[in-house]
Amino acid sequence: MVTKQNEPATPVKPGRLAVSAALGTLNENYYQALANAKGEGKPVVWITSMAPIEMVYAFDGIPFFPENYAALCSSRKVAAEFCQAAEARGYSQDLCAYALCTFGFIFEKRGAFGDEVPPAPDILLATEGACATHPKWWEALQRHYNCPLFIVDAAYTVDSETLPEHHKAYYAAQLRELASFMEEHTGRKFDMDRLREVVALSDRASELWDEIDELRKAIPTPISQIDVFTCLFALVTLRGTKEAVVFYEELRDEVKQRVDNGIGFVPNERFRLIWDLFPIYHNMRLLNYFAEFGAAFVTDLYGNAFSGRLDVSDPFDSLAERYLSFFIRAGAWGKAEIYKKRAREYHVDGIVFHFNRCCRCFTSEQPDIGNILREELGISGLMFEANMVDPRGYDDIQVKARIESFIEMLEAKKYPKQKGG
Amino acid sequence: MVSDFFQAYRTRHQLAEGWKQAGRKVFGYFCNYTPEELIYSAGIIPVRIRGSAENVDLADAHLPSFCCSYMRSALDQALKGRYSYLDGMVFPKTCDMTRALYGIWKRNIKLPYYWFLPVPGKSTDEAVEFFTHELRLFKESLEEYSNHKISDESLMQAIKVYNRNRSLVGEVYKLALSDTPQFSASEVFGILLAGLVMPKEEHNAMLRDLLDKLPASNTSAEDKVRLMIAGNTFENIELLQTIEECGGEVVIDDLDIGTRYYGSTVDESLEPLRAIAERYLRKIPCPCKHPAAPRLGHMLELAKTYRVKGVVLVIQKYCDTHLYDRPWIESRLKEEGFPVLSVEHSDTGWTGGKFKTMVQAFIEMLE
Ligand code: SF4
Ligand code: SF4
Repeated sequence: MVTKQNEPATPVKPGRLAVSAALGTLNENYYQALANAKGEGKPVVWITSMAPIEMVYAFDGIPFFPENYAALCSSRKVAAEFCQAAEARGYSQDLCAYALCTFGFIFEKRGAFGDEVPPAPDILLATEGACATHPKWWEALQRHYNCPLFIVDAAYTVDSETLPEHHKAYYAAQLRELASFMEEHTGRKFDMDRLREVVALSDRASELWDEIDELRKAIPTPISQIDVFTCLFALVTLRGTKEAVVFYEELRDEVKQRVDNGIGFVPNERFRLIWDLFPIYHNMRLLNYFAEFGAAFVTDLYGNAFSGRLDVSDPFDSLAERYLSFFIRAGAWGKAEIYKKRAREYHVDGIVFHFNRCCRCFTSEQPDIGNILREELGISGLMFEANMVDPRGYDDIQVKARIESFIEMLEAKKYPKQKGG
Repeated sequence: MVSDFFQAYRTRHQLAEGWKQAGRKVFGYFCNYTPEELIYSAGIIPVRIRGSAENVDLADAHLPSFCCSYMRSALDQALKGRYSYLDGMVFPKTCDMTRALYGIWKRNIKLPYYWFLPVPGKSTDEAVEFFTHELRLFKESLEEYSNHKISDESLMQAIKVYNRNRSLVGEVYKLALSDTPQFSASEVFGILLAGLVMPKEEHNAMLRDLLDKLPASNTSAEDKVRLMIAGNTFENIELLQTIEECGGEVVIDDLDIGTRYYGSTVDESLEPLRAIAERYLRKIPCPCKHPAAPRLGHMLELAKTYRVKGVVLVIQKYCDTHLYDRPWIESRLKEEGFPVLSVEHSDTGWTGGKFKTMVQAFIEMLE
């Protein structure tokens, strides 16, 4: 039997981060800026993740991430109805729920809080760099809003160690083209110095994020996976702003302080796990269910997918390099290599795969990543199905039962003497 | 005879084993974005990897159930050893599945040669330049593998064979312009399928022969409802037979193995690699490429030229790129006066009965 770690009278209370308040303000300010954008004549740019957001900030635009907003809808428990609204218009229920949810709130003309929908895009900016879904989804948005669309092509280099020069050149050429495109559609002039500023801020946010990631190696690990996912907001949406940098400095300091004082997110940490890949926004608490058995997530690829270092001396070239080398694009082998390295450095006992039913792009690689880790490092994996945004069909009881038997297995492996005790 | 084409497709694995015994090399590839001319010019026979209607067993350990049945089935067939004759595999970057499956095949199906070809998503001049560069790298790797330089002449030769193939298949299509087409859709499908799995020179010879000895026109087609079939790959030919049984006559397609594959030719007056790059990036696009509008234009043009009354849209379940376009394609076709029957299907576990009921109702509505 596995015992929950609630003896003696100290239930797991992962200490709330003091910077949570700052994050709340950041969030509010961002949505305020978005709401004010039209009035202030700032271009609203609907953008996909993994797209060069620095170009948006360089034009003083306000980026809007439907993905992020869909996650918000999910946590507000309105995602299922939005997905259904999209299905009613002929979109298959198997499609990416971020996309379905976006179509849904557009069709329903309602926001996550039952309020107004976010401001319509002036420009649509997508990339081919993560999945094939993004460009298709943005094409549909373009047909709906009838506004300019730019797709940045980002060729995959599945097993080459180095980034080929012509890949970089093709990407950089598109950034130059994007600059003229933005000039044309915003009526603003492109300013290389302003881009340099943004690039420097984006780089600094990534550097801080990497430091925090490094701090998660500590035993016990200082912060929860929920905190990591929540704090990611600034890296995704505000990458390239001062606000993000200030926030991550505070966060880094707080996390460092915890590490220095040996404070862990899970008191009496017994298992260290990797989370792969997407959060489950309608049930974030599931992540803390692991904590009840003394299990903590110490690393993940999703959070790190958004960080990447930049060099201000040649912004286009540097952006090209960064957006082409995000390690979420590494393929099954490449990701398994990253996890193998992390498994050693972070002292990992197991890996949990969220089979995100609606994301074939990354889920299709998960079984083999699991196979490789098991065969080569003997790391056990738990795999279960869910949908990151849409709660329909999700069976919490069953998932929790799977988690319990997974922990039981880890227990037998890591603490054999206590077995059956 | 049309049955020879079917026979070739059905016995494709034996045929390939035969070429192997004769000392030829055989490469498998996915998608109509693989520039086969290059493989062919290296003296290697390219064959399209197909799925099967057989149950998926072994692939379950490597792919979640919510991936398209085509890719699951193809991997399963390979794991079962059906493709043991292959010397190599080529994966172009098209949809997410093709991209992800490269690593999965490479790890689980041991072959002497693997190549991943980054095909741009756009068709701008920069994209063409990038792709030309990629084609050069691919060519060099083929030369290294075969220990044999690919001359411009052999490349030109391959381009000619492929262009010839496209125009011969084009002639087959043109027959369906008549009110009484000689071949039924399922027969044309057999002709298309054979072309995917045999050397194009042989396919050309068979096509020439077939066209020279054309049967009398098929008068039974006269009172049938003319239709277009659109979408992506399917293994179940019953699908077309069912349409025929219900009184429909599919006269034209917008399929990845049909007009989107056999359409556009390579410009023989340009530098060969550049010409190939242009052809593949500027051919009738599949939904994984941008912009999407040219494909709709192509569909509308075909629908008008071939005087169809409606369109049957057949899409693999879980095929993202096609499914995103579906609501738009459907509504645009309807606006232009072409009713649409839209079906999501799976190669494995084909439910013929349900499909028949839908087709019957659709055709009755069109009559
Ligand atoms: S969840 Fe998957 S399919 Fe959806 S946008 Fe993200 S990578 Fe693309
Ligand atoms: S059926 Fe769709 S998802 Fe499957 S391989 Fe073809 S294009 Fe990709």
